[in-house]
Amino acid sequence: MLPEIVRPPALPRVIVVPRPDAWRAALARTGAIIRHNTILMLREPGPLASRLILPLAFLAILHPLYEAAQGRSAGVGQAVIATLVTFSLLALSLVGGSILTERIFHTWERLRASAARPAEVLVGKAVPVMAALLAQQVLIVGFGVVVLGLTVASLPLLALAMVTWTLALLALGVALGVLARSFSELSAAYDIGGMILSSLGGALVPLAAMPGWVRHVAPVSPGYWVAAALRAALRGDSAGTLSASAALLGFALAFGLVAALRARRGWGRLARM
Amino acid sequence: MLVAEGLVKRYGARRALDGFDLTIEPGEIAGLVGHNGAGKTTFVEVVTGLVRPDSGRVSVGGIDVRRDPRGARQRLGVAPQELALYVSATVRDNLRLFAALAGLRRAAAHRAVARVAEELQLTDVLDQRAGLLSGGQQRRTQAAGALVGDAPLLLLDEPTAGADPQTRAALLAAVRERAAAGAAVLYTTHYLPELADLGATLAVARSGRVIARGTQDDLVRGLPGELRLRLGGTEPPALPAGIAGRSRVIDGELRVASTDPPADLAMLLAAGCSLVAVDVRSPSLDDLYHALAPEVSRAA
Repeated sequence: MLPEIVRPPALPRVIVVPRPDAWRAALARTGAIIRHNTILMLREPGPLASRLILPLAFLAILHPLYEAAQGRSAGVGQAVIATLVTFSLLALSLVGGSILTERIFHTWERLRASAARPAEVLVGKAVPVMAALLAQQVLIVGFGVVVLGLTVASLPLLALAMVTWTLALLALGVALGVLARSFSELSAAYDIGGMILSSLGGALVPLAAMPGWVRHVAPVSPGYWVAAALRAALRGDSAGTLSASAALLGFALAFGLVAALRARRGWGRLARM
Repeated sequence: MLVAEGLVKRYGARRALDGFDLTIEPGEIAGLVGHNGAGKTTFVEVVTGLVRPDSGRVSVGGIDVRRDPRGARQRLGVAPQELALYVSATVRDNLRLFAALAGLRRAAAHRAVARVAEELQLTDVLDQRAGLLSGGQQRRTQAAGALVGDAPLLLLDEPTAGADPQTRAALLAAVRERAAAGAAVLYTTHYLPELADLGATLAVARSGRVIARGTQDDLVRGLPGELRLRLGGTEPPALPAGIAGRSRVIDGELRVASTDPPADLAMLLAAGCSLVAVDVRSPSLDDLYHALAPEVSRAA
């Protein structure tokens, strides 16, 4: 029987407001982590290049199918949305891989043992992958506009839909990155999960053409809401874009919470004790 | 620079730390030794703020780690036990990140990276990917990440585990230089000769607490050394009663645990032993370690 541990009195909670030089130091550390993660992504450019090029090929080849089924204007819109949703979900590999690599190679704990605040580490890791995710979406929409004649009624609404979707993707990717135990698990999660979420949400095929049960369960998929947000933005529907974007932010918060709770437990030998 | 008092850390029924006390002064290299599970790595993780102790306190440069973990971390250079490198990045990229996290700006970081690379013989591989380096080079890169920021407290957790002699020599030289410049160093290892090379003070941990602390001379003093004797004649002689209980024969060599070799030799000669060869071994850190942690001796 072990004796009870005497806990020291709780320390007073103090909110420390960093001094200006502390802010500069925090910015410098965050900048260093952003730079380092950009280098890591560019040193292994295969996944990034594939996520940027493949959707354009897919869109170029398959847009006539959508146009034949839905007419020129609606068909192009559906083709762009299908491509954007499907391939941005597959791009979760960039986010999840960025987190899982830190865990597998034990650098996560080393970053935690540095002077960087958790927020600095998170922002430093998030900025490069967010830039990649947004670049992918801008490329797909840009291709749709320039090559296929897609019309965008409201650029600000489209930007809002893309940014909120990127935040949801980021949070989902981090959750996958902290939950997966290996790269093969991560790969299975974004391959299978990505296709299911985009199909279920009516991004690949309009929900009207899907079985009735799919229409009922579609709202549980973030793919449903991003497709709704993008459609609303393309036709200039502010209310539709805002409500769907709010739902995407809800998904982002939920996935972020899952990731934070799992990350708090840590990994390695201490977590196994 | 480092003060730990009464640290307790419990995982379920197991106490990883059980009243762990340790103080390290600036310029001191403290060797922390102990068998696996003695609490060495848990202690390092408590100092870095990665693990919260259940009770006790630890401060780095006067900063309470529980109250201000980030402030304490700004004074630390850490080389964890497990290899922790960005394998797809170059050695330079790895070191530049840790220099920046230690607060060094561009030019200063560049100079610090070049300096530590030269110290640890990494200059030729600075632009190679860390994943393509040999095991020894990776170990040196790991240690360089801890040294690059010139932190006032270095926590080096088994930095030479599995390392080749070149890596070990380079690393020990760099650690000595940092200590000479005023850094406090906590150095955990299973290779006791390294601590003798470093001139480190010793802290022996067992079951989550430090059971012996002091200089190597202080701790070794009073331990028995060993007389190794080759005896003449065909029949083994009858040993004096005062010696028989302390002796054993290994490969035809009589070994006598002895705190007073001249007196024991005189007793053997007086008993009629014919000595062909005599070797007097002073007590070593190994003897100290085995005396304080007998379960290690039994396991060996």
